[in-house]
Amino acid sequence: MPSRPVAPLWRWVLPIAVGAALVGAWALASATGQFPRGTVPAPAAVARGFAVELRSGRLLDDIVASLYRVGFGFVIACVAAIPAGLALGRFAAARAAFLPWVNFFRTLSPIAWIPFAIIWFGIGDPPAIFLIFLATFFQVTLATLGASAGVPRVYYRVAADLGLSSRQVLLEVTLPAILPQLLVALRVAIGVAWMVVVAAEMIAVRSGLGFLIIDARNALRMDLVVVGMITIGAIGIGLDALFARLARAPMLRWGSER
Amino acid sequence: MTAPALTLAGLGFAYGPTAVLTNLDLEVFPGEVVACVGPSGCGKSTLLALLGGHLRPTHGTVATVGGSRTIYQDGGLFPWLTVAANVALGVPRAVDDRARAARVADWLGRSGLADFADHYPHQLSGGMRQRVELGRALVADTAVLLLDEPFSALDYQTRLSMRRELAATLAERPRTVVLVTHDIEEAVQLADRVVVLSARPATVRRVLTLPPGRPRAPNAPGVADAEQTILEELGLS
Repeated sequence: MPSRPVAPLWRWVLPIAVGAALVGAWALASATGQFPRGTVPAPAAVARGFAVELRSGRLLDDIVASLYRVGFGFVIACVAAIPAGLALGRFAAARAAFLPWVNFFRTLSPIAWIPFAIIWFGIGDPPAIFLIFLATFFQVTLATLGASAGVPRVYYRVAADLGLSSRQVLLEVTLPAILPQLLVALRVAIGVAWMVVVAAEMIAVRSGLGFLIIDARNALRMDLVVVGMITIGAIGIGLDALFARLARAPMLRWGSER
Repeated sequence: MTAPALTLAGLGFAYGPTAVLTNLDLEVFPGEVVACVGPSGCGKSTLLALLGGHLRPTHGTVATVGGSRTIYQDGGLFPWLTVAANVALGVPRAVDDRARAARVADWLGRSGLADFADHYPHQLSGGMRQRVELGRALVADTAVLLLDEPFSALDYQTRLSMRRELAATLAERPRTVVLVTHDIEEAVQLADRVVVLSARPATVRRVLTLPPGRPRAPNAPGVADAEQTILEELGLS
């Protein structure tokens, strides 16, 4: 049985209290010397690290670099994947030919592509963007296919009665009809892309949050490793909230309220 | 004698070896309301899909003069569009924006939906949604209206008032109507003729002509007899 909903105020207070408790336990363990030297930095050291990195502008640069790669790769992947998924939904022969391969590549972790990414694209942004593309494209293709298969036949019959052209059917019926479900898939995909960019940046580039972590580790600056981790998690929550918010737009809300 | 608006000649439909409809012959004349009743699962919705041109017959022909619009039981509205935008889609493309808006506003006003123009379908009651569907079909001059169990998802009282509303609308804007329903009372109250279909594969079992005047009160002359005859034909009495 579902329990009673939590009052709005508590929806802020409770998670902050949990966070404070975790930090408190961490601070206590550090202060009482529970961690061997050099393994876990104290909260105060991490806070200082944040301040220094923020003031120097390096943290912001790394955030921008990571977001740029994810944004670029994610957008081009979606631009390619949504038409691909619609085409697979429309043509049974295309589905028969490509669907097994879409599934094959979808289950292949993008991380496995890192050697090829570097050989093909060198270092810098392109290999990271390529990995983000792989992480997003197959997922979103499948989600688009699934959503388009679920569009009620009635909509197409109504469209035919109303004399809509095939272009109008695509833009004014199929696309809006799949949008709520598609947005859920995009929300999942951006989360995966965000995880992948961190891994990609540990290898092929010299900027971004993944690089921040691996560079800090090489310098044995565990405080900066934690700075990177906290930043990654916070931005991850932010991206997720952004997509959750999009799903509440009036023309999309029917997807969840119907 | 006017030419029929809708003609079925030797119409049949089969999914592979399974015949759903066989050998249906029927002419529906302009302005006439014909109800089709039949045992459940007899292929009524398939019949309407054929009449609407959404399925191709495997036998015989369907000829419609001036196009058709189908109204579904529920869920025929586009949920991502507001009430006004859904109705506006029904207005023919050739009509300019201002005239389109005027037609939409006129319909919404008449059907008591003016305050709901900016609502989305999921925010409306079932009866209101059916009114919007009806509006989307009627803002065009499309000759033939095909109704697929249009009120059967509604509660009893709403169904009764929607029937009356439909009859009034048709008196004002006559259309050729084929109404598929399992509701014998609805058929007898709204239609000029009732076609009784047989069980699968469906074919015309009997056509009853009702006395003029719609909607008929339950105690109007001929209504009880017609209901009785239909029940007998369906083997339910």
